[in-house]
Amino acid sequence: MKYLALGLLLLPAAAVAETAAPLVPSFTEQTATAGVRQIYAGDWEYMVGGGVSTFDCNADARPDLIIAGGTNPAKLFVNQSTPGGDLAFTEAQSGVEQTGVLGAYPIDIDSDGVPDIVLLRQGENQVMRGLGNCKFEPANAAWGLDGGNAWSAAFAATWEKGQSWPTLAIGNYIDVTQDMFPWGSCTDNWLHRPDGDKFAAPTPLKPSFCALSMLFSDWNRSGTPSLRVANDREYYKGGQEQLWHVEPGQDPRLYTEAEGWKRLRIWGMGLASYDLNFDGYPEYFVTSMADNKLQTMANPETKSATFKDVAFAKGAIAQRPYTGTDLNPSTGWHAQFEDVNNDGLADLFIAKGNVDAMPDFALKDPNNLLLQRPDGTFQEAGDRAGVAATGLSRGAALADLNADGLMDLVVVNRREPVQIWRNTTKSANHWLTLTLTQPAPNTDAIGAWVEVKMHGHTQRREITIGGGQAGGNLGAVHFGLGDQQQAEVRVIWPDGSEGAWQMLTADAAYRLQKP
Amino acid sequence: MHRRQFLALTGAAFALPSLPLHAATTPSDTLLTWYKLVLELVRHTATYSPPVAARAFGYMGIAAYESLASATNARSLAGQINGLTALPPRPAGAYDESLVLHAVLSEAVETFFGNTGPTGQRAMAAMRDKLGAKLSQGVADDIAARSAAYGLAVAQHIEDYSKSDGGHDVQNMGFPMQWTLQKGPEYWVPTSLIVQQQAPLLPEWGTNRPFAMPVGAPCPAGDPPAYSEDPASEFYKQAIEVYETSKTLTDDQKAIARFWSDDPMLSPTPPGHWVSITLQILHRDGTDALHAADALARLGMGINDAFIACWSDKIHYNRLRPVTYIKRVIDKTWEPLLITPPFAEYPSGHSTQSGAAASVLAQVFGQGFAFDDATHADDGIAPRHYADFNAAAQEAAISRLYGGIHFRAANENGLRQGAEVGSYINALKTLA
Repeated sequence: MKYLALGLLLLPAAAVAETAAPLVPSFTEQTATAGVRQIYAGDWEYMVGGGVSTFDCNADARPDLIIAGGTNPAKLFVNQSTPGGDLAFTEAQSGVEQTGVLGAYPIDIDSDGVPDIVLLRQGENQVMRGLGNCKFEPANAAWGLDGGNAWSAAFAATWEKGQSWPTLAIGNYIDVTQDMFPWGSCTDNWLHRPDGDKFAAPTPLKPSFCALSMLFSDWNRSGTPSLRVANDREYYKGGQEQLWHVEPGQDPRLYTEAEGWKRLRIWGMGLASYDLNFDGYPEYFVTSMADNKLQTMANPETKSATFKDVAFAKGAIAQRPYTGTDLNPSTGWHAQFEDVNNDGLADLFIAKGNVDAMPDFALKDPNNLLLQRPDGTFQEAGDRAGVAATGLSRGAALADLNADGLMDLVVVNRREPVQIWRNTTKSANHWLTLTLTQPAPNTDAIGAWVEVKMHGHTQRREITIGGGQAGGNLGAVHFGLGDQQQAEVRVIWPDGSEGAWQMLTADAAYRLQKP
Repeated sequence: MHRRQFLALTGAAFALPSLPLHAATTPSDTLLTWYKLVLELVRHTATYSPPVAARAFGYMGIAAYESLASATNARSLAGQINGLTALPPRPAGAYDESLVLHAVLSEAVETFFGNTGPTGQRAMAAMRDKLGAKLSQGVADDIAARSAAYGLAVAQHIEDYSKSDGGHDVQNMGFPMQWTLQKGPEYWVPTSLIVQQQAPLLPEWGTNRPFAMPVGAPCPAGDPPAYSEDPASEFYKQAIEVYETSKTLTDDQKAIARFWSDDPMLSPTPPGHWVSITLQILHRDGTDALHAADALARLGMGINDAFIACWSDKIHYNRLRPVTYIKRVIDKTWEPLLITPPFAEYPSGHSTQSGAAASVLAQVFGQGFAFDDATHADDGIAPRHYADFNAAAQEAAISRLYGGIHFRAANENGLRQGAEVGSYINALKTLA
């Protein structure tokens, strides 16, 4: 992918009619030819996890892949795809080939412009310092990270104000030693805060309730992100979903009922966020079993920490299979909002799959691709789009892997090969790909907001590290533009400074650099 | 006293809820240890809504009781309860009663919780293997084999018995795939935003074969107040009571509502709550295994039959929930304290089964039997003290009004319905 120079144009007034029926994208499976061969393996200790992350580890502007293997070694795949061509990857010896890996999140911890990696493991977690050209070395000792010894399944990161080093949140699951009575044995989650240019001893996030997804997100646009934690009710006692204040110089503390927080107890498994209703505040999708949640702020005028569930009203529950004859309830894992048909509306992919062989839940559980309609509701299109696979899916990633402006798809399945699809949609819709950079620290501008003006509204997305199911994306973000051939874009940087609106020509990738 | 002596009044060395395995050495310990696991499986298996859980408790209790009763002059339930034929005879020879119980319960748990998830499966296997190995230490091989074979035979007999009661096959967590709502303002409508719960839970459950209650003639709760939106009507008055109470709830009333909330998947469910109470008493008092199994069998049968009676009326009356009525007639912004269950309102299931449980347990342990209830201690909810079982049942019933999910008539008539169900259980002859 080639980055283009920025244009500085005024946005012309425009109005384009929105169609009610979304364009159904076409995905072509290229698992057999793409060179991505990995199996997330393991028994009970690996029933969760199975993350995949996308990031550019060799500075060629193409997203590479790191995929957890469970009892198999984790693997890194270097992207060899040509722009607009078939997906092509080469497995590379990178230093991440460790067993016991449930997930991986790329993050430039030391802000040297080279991405590092956090490996979530069954056992000691590991930070891997990026050496460039997709090589990594263990850095726990050098960076003072206590990797612990737990069943780590969730991750999120932020740069707290005034810090040159990130704060990492690691979510832990069950005490693996408890075989007869594992329920109620949730291991404490950890907050690894900075101590200069290394990590201090972790702060336990008490109480912890078997986290499966975490996300630092500025839900109320206060300028300071909070930590949302999705917890698996299967294993906690007295638990619930959580939202933590993580404010500079202060101990983390939970949002309370007095602040509007409402108790929610679900099988919280994966988190995704996006400003779906263009009000400036993110909505949150939380995967669960039989009952996924789409939460929106209930009282934007007061900014109380109350969220209401609109999944039912928006047609985004995805509670049971939509193909086949197995109509038992679904089990949802990774969730991700991306615009897969470039119509200017974020769509939702959900990876589905039975925990193992639970007969109360669907055994053939197709992954979902929910297309957003102009009225904000969603329409299932996974089967028509060609991605309704029924493996025991866990992690997934939507990313433009071949620089054609269309979001491709990687899905990790438990005990079965990873699957990969090229988005081959024939469409006249336009797009933008934007990569943010700023001077150290926090070179990838985690916590920034990108705004893209559309006809009558503004698309907004927050730059985050975390969420999903044990994996996420670092680097470029993608916007569909519909029939707009250009769009005004600006960045609100993590320090709150607002960049100037800039007119960008569609169908290109841009690097937006903070002055 | 030999550690395996039957009917030994052991001061059980393990403590609920921690239950260290190394201390599980007596038949009573074995029984309580397995039941401790069962409470977890009920909580963590999606099928186990309250009626389904009550059914499992019924069969589990019968299996445990019959396996022990055959070594004594206690009476079998065969011929007394609906459809149960004579149990397999106990072959001659020596037995280890802990191993008999271990065999019957490991098989029964696998039967009734076979659809639990991988963690439950792992826990069942660990309990079966580790507890079995512990109990087998020092026991002659022939005795161990004979005990295991007999326990298995009893469990399989009960499993066969269970298959014909109408509740054996539960799909989609008990929710019909399709459902047509009855038209009319008094009828139930979904109150949940969960798609699965747009149909009522287990609408056919009221036709199941009960254990002791006469087949086809469930104990009726009696008619609820006639539906009306007239402020002078009894129905409106009961709705206003729910509404006004919700506005003035004291901290204690909120605590009571939450203590008896017993939500599926977040607790051992309402029937599991009463099983938990019973286990705490059995442990506290060091009750011998036969008496403990008798109590658990009676309780399990009672709460199972109570749900059948209650569900028969639920589908018959098909009454709307307070949240539906109050939002429509009184205050469209109103929200109850508790999550409204996804099925018809009248009568209250918790009240009916609590009425039955109180009736049965009062017969087993005696009137005026005081106890502390620490069922939810692991969830950080403080124990509560009750002067007797009826006091606990009364509190469970009123908790549904405090929680905003039932009108008073459903609670009070449910309690009476449960007590009537309990009388059938109390008429059964078991221990001499």
